[in-house]
Amino acid sequence: MDPAKTPLGQMLLDEITPVVMVLSTPSVEEACLKNGLSFLHMLTPFSSFNNIDVPVRTASDQPYRLQKFKLRLYYASAVRKPDLEVAKEHLRQVITEAGEKQFSELSLDTPEINHVLENYQSGNAPSWLHFFNKELIRAVSFSEHETFDHPVACLLAVSSKDEQPINRFIDLFNTNKLPSLLNDGMMDPKILKHYLLVHDNQDGLADRATKILTEMRSTFGTSDCALLCINSSTDAPVKHEENPWASYLWQNSDGSPGQHLGFFLNTDDITMIKDLMQDFSSKHIIPSMEQKIRVLNQQVSATRKGFRNQIKNLWWRKGKEDGTDSANGPMYGFSSTESQIRVLGDYAFMLKDYELALSNYRLISTDYKLDKAWKRYAGVQEMMGLAYFMLDQSRKEAEYCMENAFTTYLKLGSSGQQNATRCGLWWIEMLKARDLYKEAAPIYFRICGEDILHSAVMLEQASYCYSSKPSMLRKFGFHLVLSGDRYNKCDQIKHAIRTYRSALSVFSRTTWSHIKDHVHFHIGQWYASLGMCDVAVKHMLEILACGHQSKTTQELFLSDFLQIVQKTGQTFEVSRLQLPVINTSSLKVVFEDHRTFGSASAANTRESLWRSLEEEIIPSFSSTKSNWLELQSKLISKEYRESNVCVAGEAVKVNVEFKNPLQIPIPVSGVTLICKHFPSAVEVKSDENISRRENDNAGKCEELTACRDMCSENSFLASEVDFLLRGGETTMVQLSVTPREEGTLEVIGVRWKLLGSIVGFHDFDFNHVKKNTLKGKGKGKRSTNEILKFLVIKSIPKLQGSIHPFPDKAHVGDLWHLVLELRNPSEFPVKNLKMKISHPRFLNIGNQESMKSELPACLMKKVDSVPSGANANPFNKSDTVFMFPEGTTVQGATPFAWPLWFRAAFPGKISLYISIYYEIGDISSVIKYRVLRLQYNLQVLPSLDVSFQISPSSLRLQEFLVRMDVVNKTASEDFLVNQLSSIGSNWEISLLQPADTIFPSKSLKAGQAVSCFLTLKNCRSLLAAKDNISLVPKPVKNDIILVPQGSEDSVYDVSSEPLVNFHHYEKQQQELQHEAQGDLNTVDFVLISRPLQSNSDAGFVGPPVVMSHYACHCSTASTGPISWLLDGPRTLHHNFSASFCEINLKMLLHNSSDATAFVRITTSDSAVNGGHLNSANTAVSESSSDDQGGWRHVTPVNEVKVTSNISGTQPETPLSLGSVSPYIWSGSSSTKIRLESMSSAEIPLQICMFSPGIYDLSNYVLHWNLLLAEGQGDQDEMRRQSGKCVGYTYYLTVLQST
Amino acid sequence: MATTACFIIVSRNDIPIYESEVGTATKREDAAQLHQFILHAALDIVQDLAWTTSAMYLKSIDRFNDLVVSVYVTAGHTRFMLLHDSRNDDGIKSFFQEVHELYIKILLNPLYLPGSRITSSHFDTKVRALARKYL
Repeated sequence: MDPAKTPLGQMLLDEITPVVMVLSTPSVEEACLKNGLSFLHMLTPFSSFNNIDVPVRTASDQPYRLQKFKLRLYYASAVRKPDLEVAKEHLRQVITEAGEKQFSELSLDTPEINHVLENYQSGNAPSWLHFFNKELIRAVSFSEHETFDHPVACLLAVSSKDEQPINRFIDLFNTNKLPSLLNDGMMDPKILKHYLLVHDNQDGLADRATKILTEMRSTFGTSDCALLCINSSTDAPVKHEENPWASYLWQNSDGSPGQHLGFFLNTDDITMIKDLMQDFSSKHIIPSMEQKIRVLNQQVSATRKGFRNQIKNLWWRKGKEDGTDSANGPMYGFSSTESQIRVLGDYAFMLKDYELALSNYRLISTDYKLDKAWKRYAGVQEMMGLAYFMLDQSRKEAEYCMENAFTTYLKLGSSGQQNATRCGLWWIEMLKARDLYKEAAPIYFRICGEDILHSAVMLEQASYCYSSKPSMLRKFGFHLVLSGDRYNKCDQIKHAIRTYRSALSVFSRTTWSHIKDHVHFHIGQWYASLGMCDVAVKHMLEILACGHQSKTTQELFLSDFLQIVQKTGQTFEVSRLQLPVINTSSLKVVFEDHRTFGSASAANTRESLWRSLEEEIIPSFSSTKSNWLELQSKLISKEYRESNVCVAGEAVKVNVEFKNPLQIPIPVSGVTLICKHFPSAVEVKSDENISRRENDNAGKCEELTACRDMCSENSFLASEVDFLLRGGETTMVQLSVTPREEGTLEVIGVRWKLLGSIVGFHDFDFNHVKKNTLKGKGKGKRSTNEILKFLVIKSIPKLQGSIHPFPDKAHVGDLWHLVLELRNPSEFPVKNLKMKISHPRFLNIGNQESMKSELPACLMKKVDSVPSGANANPFNKSDTVFMFPEGTTVQGATPFAWPLWFRAAFPGKISLYISIYYEIGDISSVIKYRVLRLQYNLQVLPSLDVSFQISPSSLRLQEFLVRMDVVNKTASEDFLVNQLSSIGSNWEISLLQPADTIFPSKSLKAGQAVSCFLTLKNCRSLLAAKDNISLVPKPVKNDIILVPQGSEDSVYDVSSEPLVNFHHYEKQQQELQHEAQGDLNTVDFVLISRPLQSNSDAGFVGPPVVMSHYACHCSTASTGPISWLLDGPRTLHHNFSASFCEINLKMLLHNSSDATAFVRITTSDSAVNGGHLNSANTAVSESSSDDQGGWRHVTPVNEVKVTSNISGTQPETPLSLGSVSPYIWSGSSSTKIRLESMSSAEIPLQICMFSPGIYDLSNYVLHWNLLLAEGQGDQDEMRRQSGKCVGYTYYLTVLQST
Repeated sequence: MATTACFIIVSRNDIPIYESEVGTATKREDAAQLHQFILHAALDIVQDLAWTTSAMYLKSIDRFNDLVVSVYVTAGHTRFMLLHDSRNDDGIKSFFQEVHELYIKILLNPLYLPGSRITSSHFDTKVRALARKYL
């Protein structure tokens, strides 16, 4: 790559060229101004040559030819250091103009990153940046330490009009007008001079001019004088096709068009100027420079080259060291060797003899370094770098030199800053020329000095470096943001916006929240400050959901946003407003077709639960259709089946969850659903409408407005909700829309007003959201819009129902009387009511008569009433579905009431579901029936815990000992235990001890436990035994009053309606828990209690007056259906010396089952056979030491007495009977009898004893076998049909009689 | 302990999944976004550097004024980025290694979806403790 072709090469060839100082008289300027040009400007276009072709020889006589050459022309007054402040102001102007221009071109859409990259690719930065850089470099021209800006020649121009032109020439080169560089001795004042006489042809003929020229020639020498004739075109202005001045006069921003420049200069004039300049450069400047190079080179070689000179130089410098310690190092006059070397280098550089330049720069740089002349050192280093670059060798060296120069300039502080900037820019260009953009970017960053505006521009350029391939987009964005910040600080808002917007192309989809917020917030602010509030709002909207920011930042964002919105003075309508956040997955639609809901909680219950509940009451279509091909389609048209149906006048509710991501509260108002309603006729069109809406995103807003217009047509009514969302709060809002006319209703989205000024829309777009609608109906595949699309049918009656007073809290056992109230606000009646309750244990449907009954009174036993035989079997109706009486219709204002009994069956949180089915009479509609779903929740607390333990009485057959344990499980409640009853007429109970002793305080305190003992008698068997004929059971005493309530000793009737019904369900329930057992041997108890009136808990709706506790299936017989009793004497005296003892016993057997039983009694004599002597085993092992007859250790006292009695008299007997049982069952060893159902039998038994002692007569076994009737076994296979019972302990004491 | 330090874990999709300011310096209002900007920009360099070495600890890879970015890249290309102003290479290395262990424990949690935000408060306190210890 040719270094000269690179941008930097071009720049160097343009900028580091010989300077020609121009001195002109006012009359010369006057003549030129006729063309709208100054003298300098007139010459400028012709001072650069592309093909000058001048032979040059290097210092070592190597010839080469210069092709490109350029002169820089400056007026003498301009040859000085530019004023910093003026330059700055100029630069600011440049930037501001560029800002305006670029900003107006800026489109409002966020630029795509690819687009941005294309723009900035390969350093193709905006052109104004190049210009800016050039100006920046120009700002440090004509410095003292660099000689390439020092004029090489001087062009003196005098007009032919001037008086005494020769004197004018001399006057012009007067020292006090010359630039300070020449006067201060920084420059050699002996400078090449060229004298030019300017003649204006309009002033007359050139005679006078030629005369003066000859005079000049004689005075200044022939070669140094020239004549220039201008303004030859007399009348007609010359139109230049390519105006050579136009491109040079960029400064004329007030815009005189290029065409008017130089219109008095005809082609001859231009050719003359051209020739003049070419002649000037090729014949004068270049040879003189060449000449100077030679001279200087010789001088330098003489003084500095060679070993001796170097040593001398070193020595000399060392000695000089301590003397000069000024900041800039020593001053070097033009005649000093250092200065001459520098001039030599620069001249060589300008004549493109880079080798020579480099060698001189190298030479001088060590000197400057030793002298600590840092600025000069840096300048030389810079030139070395450039020379290396132009030679295209040793890139590393070049970069090193540039870096060295750069850092040295920076070390100088503010005085070196400008030079550092220039050096940096050259360095960057050098890197860019080698495609090292990434390395160039940090240098831009380093250039940034104190001047914020400049650093902003530099940072922007740095960002463009990062955008070149391979791009580093994040760095690109970051530097743009940095630059934008600096622009902002300099009030260059438009630039700031531009850079931030470019950065947005990188950051628009970022997940780095702080970055995103920062960018959007600032763009918004800046746009607002420019008054472009619409755009500002657009950007501010992006940062509203800034939950990650601190609270103060959130407040700042929100308040700024509000301010901007208020500035615009209009309400904005924004789709997908981020505040508050809508949780689309929480969306829930509740609508009522044939299913209607009594409460919101009922609607929230799972559909499957209701379905299973309603299975029996809803007529199924599948049963009615005879053929799968027809009927189904006849019953409901396809359209009705496939879309959701709702009824006109009934609200469709949509639950939407709003979440506030911020920590500050936000008010949200006017939350409504956006809906569309189509009358039935335009049904088809609506589909088109929707699809169009989906395609056409831009037109969405108009569409939505249109929707709201439709709302005003009263085809539907949408509810409005206002609420305040606290920080971090999530609220579920129920919105409803009520269609008023038939047709199609579609819910499109939700709209709300935030902070009272901005309207947000949110479309319910389910494309990627899992559907969460309640009424899926198995149509999961339906398109998303279908779910929110409803077919509105004409109004049909809807039942409203409630149960009151429904408790929130109850104790287990609480018995309440409730009323179900149904209302039908419409004029059409409903009929065929059916009801089903999910928990019949809790809720029981009463009779119409019990509507008015008072709770405690209706349970009391009427003294004179017939035992409620009518209610004996109340379950003739279907067990689960309750049909309201035939002809029940609900219509009009009067509510329909039906009594319900409530009893809290078990503790816990309970949800009760009630479905009421009804059919719509008199109107033909798609919906033939509807279902009202009610749901109630309540909390049931534990109260009394009752348990029973029953053991057979050993005294009497059919009598049992019952222990009742009652525990009060509440924490604070006291209860009165009123009554214990056994259910049915079979069992009679009585207390073993007086009630007062059980409940001394009459009440059961919290946490207290009480046990009491009762006897239980099976009167059924007794009755059956007595007379089978009497069918009407005699009233038996099956109620015990434990604590009398009040004065009247009234007894609760356990067979009254609610109690018996609940008993039925409790029994069913407990049957599942227990093993199924024979009905006849189980007894059910009811414990009736009531809370003590000291009830302070407000949660109860009125104190429940009665509580009932059921204990069912308390089994009496643990062994089987057969019970028996061994009856006989317990103690007897016998004289064993006379004979052995014979004792007669009786065994009473009772069959309590309802089948005939065969019983076999097997006696066994072997006592040692411990297998069936369970109870006596321990006694046997204890007395194993002396196995004496039948004696057992009973009490030590007895033992002493008795043993002493017998030991002497019967010493041998035990030994002889060692292995024989002490008693023998006499008679048959096995007896078999047949026992009819519910009958008893008596079997005589006899035993023989041979010695006195205490005997355990338990070694017999009862085998029983039930003879089941046909079919009975199938019914209940679980029941045991045969079994074996081991005899129980029966102690018999036989004593020796005296 | 460094006066300014910002620790960010960036998932392989360039999404920050954990952020904490662990410096002792009093918080400036714009510190958070500046730190994010610097670290975000440094990702460009990590992207290039990560494949040039087999070491996980990339040392300090980028700087902005006096703030230095040190990066540690896990095998799953999750990047731990620390912005700091103190020069304590060994401490930073150990910090990264220990945080890596903590991060692996997070990954082992079956309820944690890799690449999602780390919300564990336990992790947060541990990281802060490590920062106090090493930085």
